[in-house]
Amino acid sequence: MEQSEAMVSTREGQFAGRRRLVGLAAGVGLVLAGCAKNAPQDTFQPAGSNAREIDGLQRELFYVSGIVGLIVFAAILYAIIKFKDRGQDIPEQSHGNPKLEILLTILPAIILAVVAVPSVAAVFKLDKKDNDCVINVTGQQWWWEYDYVQGSTCGGVEITKSIVTSGELVIPAHTDVLLRITSRDVIHSYWIPRLNGKRDAVPGRLHTLRMQADQAGIYTGQCTEFCGLSHARMRQAAVALEAADFQTWVTNQTADYVAPEADTLAATGEATFVAQCSRCHQVNDLLSPDGTPVLAEPDLYVVSGAAPNLSKLMTRTAFAGWTFDLISAECRDKLWNAPPDEFGALYLQGVTPECFDEANLRTWLRNAPAMKPMYADPTKLASTGGKTRGMPNLNLTEDQIDELIAYMLERK
Amino acid sequence: MFTTGSKLFFGATALSVACAVVFAASTGGPTGIMGTVGLLSLAIVFGFLAGINFFNADGNVPGMQQGAEYTAAAAQPPVGSSMWPLVAAVGVAGLVVGAVSTPVVFKVSIVVVLAATAEWMVQGWSERASADAQYNAGVRKRMLHPLEFPILGALGLGAVVYAFSRIMLSVDKESTPWVFMVIGALIAVGAFVFAGRRNASRSTIVGICTVGAVALLGAGVASAVQGQRTIEEHPTTSGSALCLEGGTEVEIDDHASQDVSAKSSVIANIFLQSNDVVIARIPGFTDPEDNFSTITVPRSADVGIRFHNDSSSPQRITARLGTFGDAAEVVMCTTVVNPGKEAFLSFKIPKTNAASSTPLELVIPGVEGQQIAIVVP
Repeated sequence: MEQSEAMVSTREGQFAGRRRLVGLAAGVGLVLAGCAKNAPQDTFQPAGSNAREIDGLQRELFYVSGIVGLIVFAAILYAIIKFKDRGQDIPEQSHGNPKLEILLTILPAIILAVVAVPSVAAVFKLDKKDNDCVINVTGQQWWWEYDYVQGSTCGGVEITKSIVTSGELVIPAHTDVLLRITSRDVIHSYWIPRLNGKRDAVPGRLHTLRMQADQAGIYTGQCTEFCGLSHARMRQAAVALEAADFQTWVTNQTADYVAPEADTLAATGEATFVAQCSRCHQVNDLLSPDGTPVLAEPDLYVVSGAAPNLSKLMTRTAFAGWTFDLISAECRDKLWNAPPDEFGALYLQGVTPECFDEANLRTWLRNAPAMKPMYADPTKLASTGGKTRGMPNLNLTEDQIDELIAYMLERK
Repeated sequence: MFTTGSKLFFGATALSVACAVVFAASTGGPTGIMGTVGLLSLAIVFGFLAGINFFNADGNVPGMQQGAEYTAAAAQPPVGSSMWPLVAAVGVAGLVVGAVSTPVVFKVSIVVVLAATAEWMVQGWSERASADAQYNAGVRKRMLHPLEFPILGALGLGAVVYAFSRIMLSVDKESTPWVFMVIGALIAVGAFVFAGRRNASRSTIVGICTVGAVALLGAGVASAVQGQRTIEEHPTTSGSALCLEGGTEVEIDDHASQDVSAKSSVIANIFLQSNDVVIARIPGFTDPEDNFSTITVPRSADVGIRFHNDSSSPQRITARLGTFGDAAEVVMCTTVVNPGKEAFLSFKIPKTNAASSTPLELVIPGVEGQQIAIVVP
């Protein structure tokens, strides 16, 4: 009997030991999870002056709050150990200690006053007024659109013609860029963690956010305000290019439309695009067979009244709210990890035939809502007057998909 | 054995199941499915409660106990007459009347019938919850007061708000501040008097409050019957004729605000300078030399501009927002802005300017050759 009880006791002890070990491992794992080096959306790896300002502030505050936290935890620990119930008499109970209470009021007030100094200074620094580029950023379910102010200069580069793009915000490196952020439908929030804090995109309002990237590269982010079904698939990136590369990018974006060669699959794809896609998607300067401009009218079909401009789709690396890659994983890794002096040339290549991830685009064209959940079921659109939120399934044939892919590959 | 409580819940379970069957048979589509699921869920809840009551055998007594026919909870006579059968009857009559007259009466009657049934049911149960009448009254209060007080409070507040709003809408515009002040003052004075006279009897205070409430409700009903005052419709600045003619002032211009608070949320500031030259300044471009003659506006987005009139004469700004298809040109404008003042204009352009047969631009009627082009990419 005693032997049996001893065995049970031993087993319980082993279980308790294992539980402690598992708990310890989980705790250590949790802490170590914050130490990822390759974390593209890590706010603790600032890559621009604005983000660095925020990072510096949070570090200062962390030191202050860390010391306060340690003192509080030490006091709690002391009280727990000192007054642990060991069967002793209850300590003398007292109420009210004016000196202590005054001290505990003044001390936090002084700490908060000290903390307020760098906080307010950081707010003013982030709100600095000098900008060398202004870009309009418009959010909608579930992608971001960027348009560059016609007639302005951006990092010294003249914007002679409107540029409308989506997903990837291309900016000149080492340049103070002002984003003017709004929304077409619901509230979104724009955040590129390594370049600055987040800013809400609110319909009817323009909110400003300043960005500056230290070096060429790609900086990712995502919508940080819940905005409906595919909120998690509303991603974005800021692509910083050196001045010469940015000039090249602008020149390419404002270049005239180049029609596909006659009697090619791409030429057939152009006709398919006009018939199937141009109701919502704009390709600049595209003409219909009778010579009239093909103008998209997303306001008739989409709740937000907008759809991504596809004029230069293949100059971007991802599509559909920057959720799905247009380039293969290998090419993406190469681009993302390229040294700053090589990044621009690599990025400006756009989607090359060798790097093209056809499967993603093909699956998307086959049935977009199956790939990214959207409100596009035609039987459930009564409340929006038949308008969709996102892209519907166009029921394209495989031949049409081949044609469209051939046409799209030339949009760069 | 079946106890008082379990009988109630078994009955409610059976009723819920019956309703679910009828609803499922009579209503199709998603509504039918959701309603049936809801009613079946209700039946499960009632069944669960019935089971608990049955298991616990509340208030049940052994049949052979001496004098149980007098002392058992179930043997207690009703405490007094109940008003709920009468209320339920009025509700049922309302259902009939509502079914052939207006849906509002029908819906209100449903609420009345449900409320009366719930009250009647709980009263019937609580009066036989035990042999102790005082305990039974306490049980009833514990069950229903958490529901009755908030609902009656909300209804009372709603009635007061409704009556007050009717009064304010019926009196003429100039008198409304006085009416507001007088009623507010009366309430404040009344509260002070009550607070100062602590020995005032409860019935006196209740009486005065009742008279006040009845007076307010009566005045509200009378005002509702009389109808609201005539609210004049002022002309707006919409319409191309007004917006495109320079120098024309209309009545609304006399009432226009000459200041704007939305300073940080505009896509452009448009200045009519003292030399009658129009320039656009785009927030973000801080160089004083950054004067634009073109503004870029995202399509399908609500945007605003701020117009500053730095000229010597009153002017308005007009937005010519395009002519799309067979529709007329979309034109809107601000009210007349006095020298040194400003106005705000909000608009949304759903299509690219390439789709318009007329230019998209901001103009100052009467100031020739000065316009700001609008680009909608």
